Amino acid sequence: MSKLWVIIKREYAQVVKKKSFLIGIILTPAFMAMVIILPAMLATKKPDTVENIAIIDTDGQGIGERFAEGIKAYKLDDSSPAYNVTEILNLNPDDSVAADRARKRLDSLILAKSLKSYLIIDNGIESNDSCFMVAKSFGLQTSRRFDKVISRILSEMRLEKSEINLGTDSVMTLTRRIVFEQQAPGGKERDFLTTYFAGLIFIMIIFVTVVTYGQVLMRSVIEEKNSRIVEVMVSSVSPFQLMGGKIIGLGLASLTQVGIWVALGAIIYVFKGNINIAPAISDTVFNPVFIIYFICFMLLGYLMYSTIFALIGAIVNNEKEAQNFIFPVTMLNILPILMGSYIIQEPESTLVTVLSLIPFLTPTMMILRLNIMGPETFSFVNPIIFEATLGVILTFLATLGIIWVTGRIFRVGILMYGKRPTLPEILRWITYK
Amino acid sequence: MDDYLKLVNIRKAYGEKVAVNNLSLSVPKGSIYGIIGPNGAGKTTTIRMIMDIIAPDAGDILINGGKVTGEFKNNVGYLPEERGLYKKMTLEEVIVFFAELKGFPKSRTLELIDGWLEKMSLSDYKKKKVEELSKGMQQKLQFITTVIHQPEMIILDELFSGLDPLNIELIKDILMEEKRNGITILFSTHVMEQAEKLCDFICLINKGQKVLDGKLADVKAKFGSNTLQVDMEGDGAFSREIPGVEDMIEFNNYIELKMTPDADTQEILRRLAEKVKIRRFEIMEPSLYEIFIKVARIDPRELIEEQAGHV
Repeated sequence: MSKLWVIIKREYAQVVKKKSFLIGIILTPAFMAMVIILPAMLATKKPDTVENIAIIDTDGQGIGERFAEGIKAYKLDDSSPAYNVTEILNLNPDDSVAADRARKRLDSLILAKSLKSYLIIDNGIESNDSCFMVAKSFGLQTSRRFDKVISRILSEMRLEKSEINLGTDSVMTLTRRIVFEQQAPGGKERDFLTTYFAGLIFIMIIFVTVVTYGQVLMRSVIEEKNSRIVEVMVSSVSPFQLMGGKIIGLGLASLTQVGIWVALGAIIYVFKGNINIAPAISDTVFNPVFIIYFICFMLLGYLMYSTIFALIGAIVNNEKEAQNFIFPVTMLNILPILMGSYIIQEPESTLVTVLSLIPFLTPTMMILRLNIMGPETFSFVNPIIFEATLGVILTFLATLGIIWVTGRIFRVGILMYGKRPTLPEILRWITYK
Repeated sequence: MDDYLKLVNIRKAYGEKVAVNNLSLSVPKGSIYGIIGPNGAGKTTTIRMIMDIIAPDAGDILINGGKVTGEFKNNVGYLPEERGLYKKMTLEEVIVFFAELKGFPKSRTLELIDGWLEKMSLSDYKKKKVEELSKGMQQKLQFITTVIHQPEMIILDELFSGLDPLNIELIKDILMEEKRNGITILFSTHVMEQAEKLCDFICLINKGQKVLDGKLADVKAKFGSNTLQVDMEGDGAFSREIPGVEDMIEFNNYIELKMTPDADTQEILRRLAEKVKIRRFEIMEPSLYEIFIKVARIDPRELIEEQAGHV
C-alpha cells in the first residue's frame, strides 16, 4: 500500500508542479467560454458604424422609400441611425438594360467598400413573396432587421388593398407575435440554447478530464517504457500497483483542477450574488440528484478511459503510434457533443436510450440526458433515474473488466520494446502466466 | 558458505524460442557472481526472472532457501541493462523516489545522499534536473539509486555497458567495498576481460544453457596455463601455421596463441619475431574468453564480432 502511495505522490506532483497545470486551470474555462459565448456574442453584436445601403426598386409602389423610412428606427449605440440609404433607384420593370447597369455599378461600389449592401425589390414582390439583398458578407442581425421591415411593409400594403375594414395599425396590433417560452415541469424556464450549453459545460468537464489526463497518463507510460524506467519500477512494485498508482495520482490531479474550478465558480457566485445565471444552469448546478450522478459518471468515466489510455501506452512504442488509437477514443467522447442537439430534442428516444447505456458513451450521454430531464428525487419509477443507475452499474462492470484485461496486457506490454505487437499477440498476453 | 540465491532448473520460452533452458546456479552469500555469455545467451531473461519481472515457465528461484517474497524486492538493488531515469526530476527527487519504492525511509535516504553524490562526484548537481547530466553522469546516478537503500543483494545487468573506463574502475571499487560489507553481488556481462577481474564465481551460459560454472580460480586452474599473449605490430595471421600452436585468436591490438602441451615457447617467439615486431608477450592462464570458446564449442569468430560490436 505504501508503495502505491509513493507512485501516486510522484505522478501527482509531476503534473501539479508543472506550469502547464496552472495555465490549464486558467485557460480551459477561458477557452470554453470563448467557444460557447463568443460566437453568440459576435453574431448578435450591433454594428458599430453606420452601414451605407442602396435600393433598386422595380415594383413602382414606393416600397423602397417606405423601407428607407422603416429602418430609421434602428440606431447605433450613440443613437445615430444605423443605416444610411445612399440612393433609391426606381427603375422601369421592363428596362432590363438599365437594371443590369445599376446592379453592375452598385456591385462595384460594394467592392470599393463605399456601399455595404443593396436591396432588390422586384416587380410583383407582393405576390411572389421574395426579395433579395446583395452584399459581400451578411450580418445575422442586419438580415433579420431587413426581413422584418420588408415583411411589415408588405403586410401593410396587402391590408390597404384588401376589403378588410380595419385600420392598418389595429390589424398589426391584432396579428402581433407572441413571446413563446419553454418551461420544464414544475414551472421552470427552459430554452433550447441554455439547456444545450448547460449540458455542454458538464460534458466538457468530463471530456477535459478524461481526454487530457488520459493522455498525460499514456505519455507517462510511454516515457517510462522508452526510458526503460519501467523495468526498475516493476522490480520494486507489481505492474498492477504501477498502473493503479498512475491512474489514481493523475486522477487526483484532475480532481484538483476541477475542484479549483468549482471553488472559483463558488467564490464568484457568493461575492457577486446578483449574477444572472440562466435557470437551466442553476437548476442543474444546485440539483443534488444531478450532482451525485455527475460525480459518479465523472469518476467512472475517468477510471475507464484512463485505463484504456494506459493500455494504449503499454502497447505502443511512441506517441506517433499512439495517435492512431487516440482518435477513436476521443471520438467516443465527442459523439454526445455532436449528437447534442438531437439528444436535447429527443432525450427519451430509443436510439438515445440505447446509446446512453453503452458504457463507453454512458458518462457523457447520461449526463446530457439527466441535465435535460432534471430529475429531483431518487425515485426508480422515474425512468431516467432507473436508466442512469443502470448506466452507473454497467459502466462500473465494464470498467472492472477493462482494468482486468489492461492489467494482464500492461505487465507484458511495458517490457516489449521495438516492434509493435499484433492484435493476436496482444490477446495472447492476456493468458500469459 | 550459504547460498543467498539459488536457481533450480528454470526455464523460459517465448513461443517457439527457448530463452533459458534448465538453468541451475547457486550464488553464495557475500560473493561476486558473474553470469557471462554472448548477447542473446539468456542473461537478461534469467535476471528478469530472479527479479520477478517475468515468471519462469518451470523451475524454482530460492532466496535464502525460501520463495521470492515482497521483502526480497525491498532487499535487492537492480540495475537493468537499458538505463533510464525521469528526466524532469532533480537528482535528489529521483534518489528519494526510488529508495521509497524499496520501502527505505526518506529520512535515511537524506542522511546517505550527500555521501553517495560525493563519491560519484555529482554533489554540485543535487538540485539539478536529470536531463542536465551527461550520459555517464546519469549512469552513475542510476547506480546510486540501485544501492542507496542498503540492499542485501545487488543485481546488475550488463554492468559495464555505457560506462567509460574511469567509471568502470569507480564502480568496481564500490562493488568491492559493498562485498566487504557482506553484500551479495550478481552481475551479467559479455565483456569477459572485465568479469575476470571482478568475479569470485562465474557461470558461463550460451543459447540459454549453462556451459560451465564454479569458482573462477578453480575454473582457470582446470584449464591450465597454455596461452601465449603477444602484443605486436604487423599481421599475425601466419602464426596459426607455427608448430606447437593449436589455435590463434586475433584481437584488435594483440593475438592469443593457444599452445599444444608440448610446445616450445621460445621457438614460437623466434618464429614470430622473424615476421612481426613484438612489443610485449606473456605466458598466461587461459582467458575466460578462451575457456568459453573451448567449452561451448562455438566458432570464435562469432564471438569476436559480438565483442567488436559492443565494447
